[in-house]
Amino acid sequence: MTDRTRIALLLAPALLVLAGLFLTGLGLTLLRSFRYLPGLGLTEPDLAAYAAVLTAPGFLRSLALSLWIATASTVIAAVLALAAALLLRQTFPGRTLIAFLVQLNLTIPHIVGAIGILYLVSQSGSFARLAHAAGLISAPAEFPILTHDPYAIGIILLYVWKELPFITLILLANLQTLGEDHEAVARSLGASRWQAFRHVLLPMVLPGLATASALVFAFAFGAYEVPLVLGAHAPKALPVLAWQAWTDTDLASRSEAMAMAVVIAVVGLALLALVARGLRLGGQDAR
Amino acid sequence: MLRSLATLLLLSTAASAETADGEALKRMTWDQIVEQARGGTVNWFMWGGSDTINAYVSGYVADRLKADYDITLNRVPISDAADVVNQVLSEKEAGVTDAGSVDLIWINGENFRSMKQADLAFCGYTGLLPNDSLINWDNPAIANDFGVPVEGCEVPWNTVQFAFAHDSAKVPAPPQDMASLIAWIKAHPGRFTYPAPPDFTGSAFLRHVFIHAAGGPDRLLGPFDPATFDATAARTWAILNEIEPFLWRGGATYPTTVTQLNELFANGEIDFSFNYDPAQFGLAVQAGTWPETTRSFGLTDGTIGNTNYTLIPFNSPNKAAAMVVQNLLLSGEAQLEKAKPEVWGAAPAIEISRTPPEIQEGFAAIKTHPSVVPAAELAKAALPELQADWLIAIEKGWAANVGN
Amino acid sequence: MRADRMRTLAALALAGFLILPILPLAIWSLAHGWRFPDLVPQTWTLKAWSLAVDARSGVLHSLAVTAGIALATTLLAALIGLPAGRALGLYRFRGKGLVTLLLLAPAFLPGIAIVFGLHGVFLRLGLVGTVPGVILAHLIPVLPYMVLVMAAVFSRFDPEFEAQARSLGATPWQTFSRVTLPAVLPGLMTAALFAFLVSWSQYLLTLAIGGGRVQTLPLLLFSFSSAGRNDLTSAIALLYILPGLLVLLVTARQVTGRSLALVGGLRP
Repeated sequence: MTDRTRIALLLAPALLVLAGLFLTGLGLTLLRSFRYLPGLGLTEPDLAAYAAVLTAPGFLRSLALSLWIATASTVIAAVLALAAALLLRQTFPGRTLIAFLVQLNLTIPHIVGAIGILYLVSQSGSFARLAHAAGLISAPAEFPILTHDPYAIGIILLYVWKELPFITLILLANLQTLGEDHEAVARSLGASRWQAFRHVLLPMVLPGLATASALVFAFAFGAYEVPLVLGAHAPKALPVLAWQAWTDTDLASRSEAMAMAVVIAVVGLALLALVARGLRLGGQDAR
Repeated sequence: MLRSLATLLLLSTAASAETADGEALKRMTWDQIVEQARGGTVNWFMWGGSDTINAYVSGYVADRLKADYDITLNRVPISDAADVVNQVLSEKEAGVTDAGSVDLIWINGENFRSMKQADLAFCGYTGLLPNDSLINWDNPAIANDFGVPVEGCEVPWNTVQFAFAHDSAKVPAPPQDMASLIAWIKAHPGRFTYPAPPDFTGSAFLRHVFIHAAGGPDRLLGPFDPATFDATAARTWAILNEIEPFLWRGGATYPTTVTQLNELFANGEIDFSFNYDPAQFGLAVQAGTWPETTRSFGLTDGTIGNTNYTLIPFNSPNKAAAMVVQNLLLSGEAQLEKAKPEVWGAAPAIEISRTPPEIQEGFAAIKTHPSVVPAAELAKAALPELQADWLIAIEKGWAANVGN
Repeated sequence: MRADRMRTLAALALAGFLILPILPLAIWSLAHGWRFPDLVPQTWTLKAWSLAVDARSGVLHSLAVTAGIALATTLLAALIGLPAGRALGLYRFRGKGLVTLLLLAPAFLPGIAIVFGLHGVFLRLGLVGTVPGVILAHLIPVLPYMVLVMAAVFSRFDPEFEAQARSLGATPWQTFSRVTLPAVLPGLMTAALFAFLVSWSQYLLTLAIGGGRVQTLPLLLFSFSSAGRNDLTSAIALLYILPGLLVLLVTARQVTGRSLALVGGLRP
């Protein structure tokens, strides 16, 4: 067997499954978004669904909301995760426990976290009750609106809670493989702590941080169940809007759902392209 | 592990398409249908948010089906019946005509209209059910589902009538009609709200305001009339926009579900909740969610009543077994069981006078939960449900004129 | 020392942040009547828990279905991902970048982007509403993690050992089971843990492809949560966390960190 045949055989199952499921799903979504469905007698592809989606007032607001959720969640989670990773790299009492909590958090499904956040910070949640007990508020309405709110604070809070540990663990693992040599060298050459971090450590963990952040962004942008639990009635996060259009009993709105799905896919592909470029810049170390 | 996986795989493909042919069933006698139904499985898609209703279906109903007919009832909990309509629609579109995944749906209103319009319902068989004789099809509120003629496409299960709940410890004297409710809202800023449509309950509340704005239901009955709608809608939006600043959170946002409304009420953030099924009030008190001092009431100018049904999709592969389930649900015993307040407290969809004496005695002996306004009292001022076209127009109009 | 105190404070803040959302769930699951402004429930009860473990509530059945699907997905992903990871980790070939990108893509494209189209295909194949259909759908987001972790594992694997075993007369199966597998097993376990968790947490794909018939825990959880049964919702939520916690305790704890390093590297 030549290497080429062997490689082809090894890759075949994965590529077949991905082509059969992922590409087919994506392709059909695309075709239907152009209202092209020969099976149903639609043989003239057009842009009507996109036109309908783009002119509907709700869509752009939903798109903006989802981009806001993803951006805010990713930035906050990444910054905090960097701090958490630097903290956990040191030894101190209780470190093991915190490291365990960080890992445990990774196993908790998003929807569980979303419900926990809801019970914690809603206007009648645990914090509001504590505020009442402390005499800060006299009624739930006086507590800040953190869930089902137009700025999606509750949703962002959930993503920060859930993704901070994810990014932290990736960074910790990266830091472990890097060791402390480079920093030590920099410090011995007279660099300040900040300089050593900014010019030595940060560039080294940046690829890992960027990839992890891209994954987080993609998830926060496209998740359905979290805004379903914590989101406001308007504007809706884009995935919720798309699902609503898909389950509308008016079949015409299905093409619009597909068009929204394509918009979501385009954002995901853009992220993938960014990551791919970053990886190539980082050089290939495969044999 | 492998064995449990194998079982899982087997389970999932076990559904057989034995009684998919509805026309053949219609030519059979009931005994033959029951014979066909034996050993079948019924996938019943129904709202799954109440543990007491779930327990009634998965316990009482499922046990009797298993014991009497060897039928397995698979209760499929869902959050929204519209998703199921969409599922059957997708199946039809994909040419799945005899191996559908849904055998029975708990349904009414616009979802029923959608299914009937798209020919998604199995129709014309209800006369075959022995317990069909307990149904009063002469009652227009039974024979029409939100104004859409039932025409043998679904079987009634419960009757309900809209009611409001309040905490008697906080609001001892609640407003008694729509006009005084509106005045009350303005006098108590932040203490009232309603779920944004398309929430089922929020939409029903809107229709009460709409009927109030129209000066009564008389001109709204019958098919959709654009001129009447426009005139009434303008007044409705005016009322709703007028009260908006006095709503919870100043009307800047609305709850999206009746659940959120209930939660706001439970925590004392608002003073009223409301529901199409007043039995829910009693269940919420029993569950400890609502205070014991919860009481409920109708409006003197009337509240809307309706019937909810069970429906067999056109492509159900287990129609015979689904029919047996429907027949059992209609029986005096099953209707009495679910009427008990500790079980559910649901009002029957059958004529009690047509049931055997011991069942009638059972119904007479039922004491309604103190938090639940008795159905007989609500029935003194009942409004008919508007047809689905009105309903959709009101929901769309609200989104454009009030909830934007 | 000030730095020490800062560090302790930061550590406490982090721990608190991580644990806080779980606390109300724990209290709610034992509460009967817990309304604003009560700090603790009026009455404590095990009612929610007894309902959750009652066969009629379907919670335990859902737990089994969810676990079965996650295990089957993991197994399938391993069977498919191991060879692909080998190809990517051991060989250099034309189009490798493109293949890697394709295998990576599902990790970046949210499920909602593909699920509508996938539903159409599965409907025609009779896979909607079935457990196998849901398992296949779960493979999509699971496979990238499996393949990439295995690629990283194989990039550190020396095929010379296999050649030696074969020259000593070992059959291909013996070579695999006695040489290759033991060498990649730790990496495979971490990849499997990841695959399991991704499938275990799926909501949207299960909802759409399972069509309600495949009732996994997150679906059941949402059904009660959307009905406002905070007590039952919380009991189910805690049950839902439990297996992940067990897996974490059973597998070496460093495992997650290592596999994340592999994912985080994402180097072909």
